[in-house]
Amino acid sequence: MEEMILKLKQEIIEVLNLEDVKPEDIDNDAPLFGEGLGLDSIDALELIVLMEKNYGIKLQDPAKGKEIFKSINVMADYIQKNRTR
Amino acid sequence: MANGKSVLITGCGIISAIGNGKSEVLDALLSNRTGIGPLKYLKTSHKEFPVGEVKMSDSEMESLMGIEPGTPVTRTALMGMVAMHEALADAHLDRCDLNRVAFINGTTVGGMDKSEQYYTDFIENDSRNEYIKTHDCGSCSEMIADRFGRFKYITTISTACSSAANAIELGADMIRSGEADIVVAGGTECITKFHLNGFNSLMILDHGQCRPFDAERAGLNLGEGAAYLVLESKESAERRGVEILAQLSGYGNACDAFHQTASSPDGEGAFLAMSKALADAGLKPSDIDYINAHGTGTPNNDLSESQAMKRLFGQELPPISSTKSLTGHTTSASGSVEAVICIFALRNGFVPVNYAWANPMDDGIIPNMELKPAGRLRHVLCNSFGFGGNDSSLVLTLTDKTL
Amino acid sequence: MTQKKSIKVVSVKQISIQQPLSEEWMDSPLTYQDDYVKAIDPDFRQFISAGDARRMGKLLKRALATSLSALKDGGIENPDAIITGTGFGSVENTELFLDAMVREGEQMLKPTQFMQSTHNTASSLIGIHTRCHGYNSTYTQKGLSFDSALYDAWLQFRLGKIGSALVGGHDEMTPVFAGFMRKAGHVKEGEICSEAAVSVLLTDRTDVPALCTLEGLILLNDPEPGELAAAIHSVTGGQVPSAIMTGISGNNENDSRYGFLKELFNGTPILRYKHLFGVNFSSSAIGFYAAACCLKKGEVPACLTADGIPVKTDGGILIVNAVEGRHYSISLLKPICGEL
Repeated sequence: MEEMILKLKQEIIEVLNLEDVKPEDIDNDAPLFGEGLGLDSIDALELIVLMEKNYGIKLQDPAKGKEIFKSINVMADYIQKNRTR
Repeated sequence: MANGKSVLITGCGIISAIGNGKSEVLDALLSNRTGIGPLKYLKTSHKEFPVGEVKMSDSEMESLMGIEPGTPVTRTALMGMVAMHEALADAHLDRCDLNRVAFINGTTVGGMDKSEQYYTDFIENDSRNEYIKTHDCGSCSEMIADRFGRFKYITTISTACSSAANAIELGADMIRSGEADIVVAGGTECITKFHLNGFNSLMILDHGQCRPFDAERAGLNLGEGAAYLVLESKESAERRGVEILAQLSGYGNACDAFHQTASSPDGEGAFLAMSKALADAGLKPSDIDYINAHGTGTPNNDLSESQAMKRLFGQELPPISSTKSLTGHTTSASGSVEAVICIFALRNGFVPVNYAWANPMDDGIIPNMELKPAGRLRHVLCNSFGFGGNDSSLVLTLTDKTL
Repeated sequence: MTQKKSIKVVSVKQISIQQPLSEEWMDSPLTYQDDYVKAIDPDFRQFISAGDARRMGKLLKRALATSLSALKDGGIENPDAIITGTGFGSVENTELFLDAMVREGEQMLKPTQFMQSTHNTASSLIGIHTRCHGYNSTYTQKGLSFDSALYDAWLQFRLGKIGSALVGGHDEMTPVFAGFMRKAGHVKEGEICSEAAVSVLLTDRTDVPALCTLEGLILLNDPEPGELAAAIHSVTGGQVPSAIMTGISGNNENDSRYGFLKELFNGTPILRYKHLFGVNFSSSAIGFYAAACCLKKGEVPACLTADGIPVKTDGGILIVNAVEGRHYSISLLKPICGEL
């Protein structure tokens, strides 16, 4: 799981172009949206694309993204349970 | 009027999903007939999205416009030509008149319908080089203009969904300042894979018929089309002895300055654009008899626009409808397509229905569902709010001469 | 009703293939042998936070940096209008999205790339950053894009609708689109295909120090014989300027379009800037910028003249931009006389 979380953080940093952020800077339980990393609705859409591209998980409802992308741990957990790749 | 010279409308032309030309479009509005349906003309893998396509192929439009087969031309330009043709005829403008006429065109996709088809060729070989020249928006406007003659000035505005409205505003400024007597202004846009996929990536397309201002709305349906208004000074219209269709009595442009794809929760940009337009026209909110809303059917726009209208009109909201559930969202052309619809409403005394609406929003406006207005239509407000917070509103007024 | 208030150029900033946000090029211009040169970027972090910058392609960063810089220099925080010209828009993002769509199919495409690709992104971004709710628009008319944006501002000043305006001309170029520019003939043999971002702050307020005044502006499409000369006469008021800033580039076909100026203004120095700044759809913005810099200095530097001899600017600089041999913009910048 730890390896997967590290990979996920690297993917998020790359896809969202968070140049100055390193994986160790992202707390696994910190909120990703609003405070914490301060991501917004466009970032949520990018993460939806990432989920499909890298893990084969297709999210039809953008609103569901809010729950799944709550934190790194929540996201990793969801991917673990639903990945098809 | 509030700001100097009157800006009159002496002609218009339109092509859209609900009709090719003024009389077909008017008939569809009076019959409440939508032009939204399954994709037919655009070659895309996304067949699941209903769209408002113009019911003509490129070759049919080329034939209609007398374009020689093999001439590099794009779908956006073709629709523009069809609408321009009707507008010029409507205003009794001949080829030789055009050297006094400016052309302000709104488009964002330009020639992308061809570029996305030939992109690989553009890079790898020289077989489609003539289409590289048709890619950009400015070239699209020139192609439309050149089909008819030499205009004194051509320019292109690209502010996404408010492009055509902004084109009309610039045209009006040219007339008010005496820079031109006659301006053809509006917009044109065809559906492309590029922006169909773009909007899909933003997850704002409805997989079914769009429902502006409905509590269950799930997004927009893309549309395509073109429409132009012939704007003219009073002196020129009198000199030429042409009929006046309506007056552009006010307009306003404001920036929401909030986010690139979402509108602010309190609809600040929309509120300011509408307020400016009313002030420009020297009118109070209570003078407005109908609002043609931007009303795309996205959760965000319809809520934001509702807030803005409520802030401005308070409890005294006039009848409001979005016609995008009939025409689809014609993006860059929507400002002029809907301005033409407003002119029809004024001159024929009806209020377009907000087709497909059923469930009231919690915090939204209740749109108009009755063709027959409560009273006479004198002034109407037409809203166009674009990505990037480029918000514009037009006030169209029935002139006494046409009563 | 038109007003005859003086429109002043308060500040001008550029990022191009010359030293960015600087007038160093006037004394020590950079020279290039390549036919495609990318702009030299400043450190954007002095203008844009990492969080904001992460989504922006180069065009957007440059548009924002030059805008914020021009506003700061000019001491105006909230202009009444923000108007941008761009010939091709955000090419970088357009290409990324289009490329992915064509090569990989219509699935899993990136919303950021689409969002940033629309032409009006720069203008709206500037509005967001400055929190300006005023007039905001974007023009795209190939080599007349900046001129069209300037014309809109010009009209609004004359109608008394605005007291200040930030007008920009921004174009970026990727290797792929540079290839397109050449194939379509927009960039010709002997010309450098380049990038440029220019922001110009204008005002008609009398209490703001300025570089020069904008005295006239006319745009023409396919002028008839005599119309062009008449437009120039109208803009100059029949007077002879100190020099004429043109889009002469070293390519014969392009340069022949400016030949008529020698007849109209026998002996007046003809200036050029494309040999230093290259060619792109926002070149005319560079021409405007260069002319304003000359007026600020009181002199045209040797690097812009045909014979390498500096020219005094007391009589103002006429700017003539010829696009594809059919479109023209004519404007006149004059020195500030005795005011602030």
